[in-house]
Amino acid sequence: MRKIKFIAVKEFYHILRDPKSLAIAIAMPIIMTLLYGYAINLDIKNINIAIVDYDKTIESTELIDAFYASPYFSRPENPVSLSDPQAAMRSDDVTAVLYIRPGFAEKLRNGQTYELGMTVDGSDNNLGAAVMNYSKALVNTFILEHLPVGVEVPQVRLAIQNLYNPDLESSHFFVPGLVAIILMMISALLTSITIAREKETGTMEQLLTAPVTPWQILTGKIIPYIGLALLDAVLVLVAARLLFNVPFVGSQILLLGFALIYVATALSLGVLVSAMVKTQQVAMMLAMMLTMLPAVMLSGFIFAVKNMPVVLQLLSNVIPAKFFVTIIRGIALKGAGLDVLAMQGLYLIILMTVLMLIAGKKFTRRIA
Amino acid sequence: MSRALIGVVKKEFIQILRDRNMIRIIFLMPVIQLLLFGYVVNIDVKNLSLDVYDFDRTHESRELVRSVGASGYFTPNDTIMALQHLEDNFKRSSSDMAIVIPPGFAHDLMNRENPSVSLITDGSNANQTAIGIGYMGRLMQIFISAYYGVSIPLDLRFDVLYNPEAESVYFMVPGIVATLLTMVTVMLTSMAIVRERELGTLEQLMVTPIKGRELLLGKLIPFAILGFLETIIALTFGVLWFQVPFVGSSVLLFALAGLYLVTPLGIGLFFSNVTSTQQQAMFFAWFFSVFAILTSGFFTPISNMPTWMQYLTYLNPMRYFIEITRAIMMKGAGLQDLVFQVVMLAIYGVAVFGLSAMRFSKRVS
Repeated sequence: MRKIKFIAVKEFYHILRDPKSLAIAIAMPIIMTLLYGYAINLDIKNINIAIVDYDKTIESTELIDAFYASPYFSRPENPVSLSDPQAAMRSDDVTAVLYIRPGFAEKLRNGQTYELGMTVDGSDNNLGAAVMNYSKALVNTFILEHLPVGVEVPQVRLAIQNLYNPDLESSHFFVPGLVAIILMMISALLTSITIAREKETGTMEQLLTAPVTPWQILTGKIIPYIGLALLDAVLVLVAARLLFNVPFVGSQILLLGFALIYVATALSLGVLVSAMVKTQQVAMMLAMMLTMLPAVMLSGFIFAVKNMPVVLQLLSNVIPAKFFVTIIRGIALKGAGLDVLAMQGLYLIILMTVLMLIAGKKFTRRIA
Repeated sequence: MSRALIGVVKKEFIQILRDRNMIRIIFLMPVIQLLLFGYVVNIDVKNLSLDVYDFDRTHESRELVRSVGASGYFTPNDTIMALQHLEDNFKRSSSDMAIVIPPGFAHDLMNRENPSVSLITDGSNANQTAIGIGYMGRLMQIFISAYYGVSIPLDLRFDVLYNPEAESVYFMVPGIVATLLTMVTVMLTSMAIVRERELGTLEQLMVTPIKGRELLLGKLIPFAILGFLETIIALTFGVLWFQVPFVGSSVLLFALAGLYLVTPLGIGLFFSNVTSTQQQAMFFAWFFSVFAILTSGFFTPISNMPTWMQYLTYLNPMRYFIEITRAIMMKGAGLQDLVFQVVMLAIYGVAVFGLSAMRFSKRVS
């Protein structure tokens, strides 16, 4: 125990001695919360679409108004050239062009079949899909309000109740997940270069000649960073609360407890990386590759795990962020308790143990 | 090229490639990025788990549930449960929505009395919920139109350009190319020069008869080559594995990539000037990468961001390069379509690189 403490204290001084890095390690998570929180917005709104109206009737004008009155669509700044509407799509000025051919109002009044046409820029397929979905819904509402006289369609009344996030604020869903991502990246990066640095600058030999076991070195190296990472966790949570008004319904103590397990897991991943490589450069690249993308992509943070191919769904089970994303959303938004989330915590502990075991093995072998 | 310059380039290459792990990372990074982006990026909302509480238990109510399930948007789960367990499934995230069909549904339907149905959602995933509610409204309309045999005479036909198969990987690959080129050059450049300073070998280099200019170029050329290598790997893998179409001119793409590269190299150089340890350089480079990726429109459209952030994106050189790669690869754009982007990149290149290079030479001498 005393030896672990010595290494921890040494590492602690090392952190303090480099105030630039320390400042970045503290400021970075907050800036990242800001950047990510505002930059990634999946509510697709204000898409520029052009409408070419050859019908020029009251009905066609009403349809145009219906499109531009919706929050999803807006008028392009510059009028689109009628001879080549697609030019505006190539230069990214509009995402879609709606054509209302002549005869629209007449057929609508007589209840005859009529087809509206829309050209969509599909290069961003998600944006394209959103345009198509919103347009379909708008046209659907429009026709129900403009049914020919005498035609009546009964409707199913849908009573809707949204639990946990009644105003459907996407940031309430998104920002808690963000906490998981940022903590993963910062923690893994923090520890990934600690051992590599000792190897590169030649101080590892000195450490090894001291009467400490590899395990004591690894544990001692992690402890000071747990404090730093937990501080980051608190800062990010406060930022989420103040900047994005994310409600924290559940127990904050429970959340911090889980956060502790989670950062310890992420730090273990960093230590494993550090034990595997020789230079800080490689350590950093590997830590980035292992954390940034998988944590963002496979954790369910943006993309639902159940929509992925089966292989990736299986793979997602070794991504610590996946479990913490579920935990933090459960606690913050739904007030879930330990009874519902115990399994997730257990998974994290198992992952951490496995990571530390491998790191210890790699490290011992390197020394021998 | 002078012999001294060739010497520095060689030394730098040996130093990078000496580490087996580095070689693995260089080859694996583009492949892993492509695989993840190719298979994961999918914000289509489908297969929402829908708990069904059917208190009507008639042919009509079952037919409603069946038609909702047949749409592919919902996966109904109609094992009978008591209503009080409704929230448990939300808390466990094992269900996304619950539909409650009250007794009398079929009766109202037969009497044309606008039957009502309750939809209770786990609203925490706001985006998915809003889309799911939209689907449900349309499905109800389709169900009831079919029930009464009424057809809706208005239809909307779509004509999708550039990516009609709606493959997200087609859209992602140009972005990945730009991301890799930026990340690799900024990070490796910034760390490589600081490394010499941290280990004290920069002084050794300075006493050799290498000129400051040669040292600078010798440090940068290997990373420019590595950046191009990453681009080629990503493009080749994308075209061969995912059959990503490449409509425009590859010569133009590589020429503009060369123009773009000057800026991230300059930024890497700048970071190496203002930091003294590899850890600091790494943090700076990492922060820049996150900023560059997030404000480039790589993940989400720039038009979706708050206005202040939209202005911020103009400061990001990667923004222009992503627009270039996407326009060339997907829309077959030529130089005449990309004048603005090219001019911006040229301005950035000259300004950023010029300033950092000046600072570097001053520090060296």
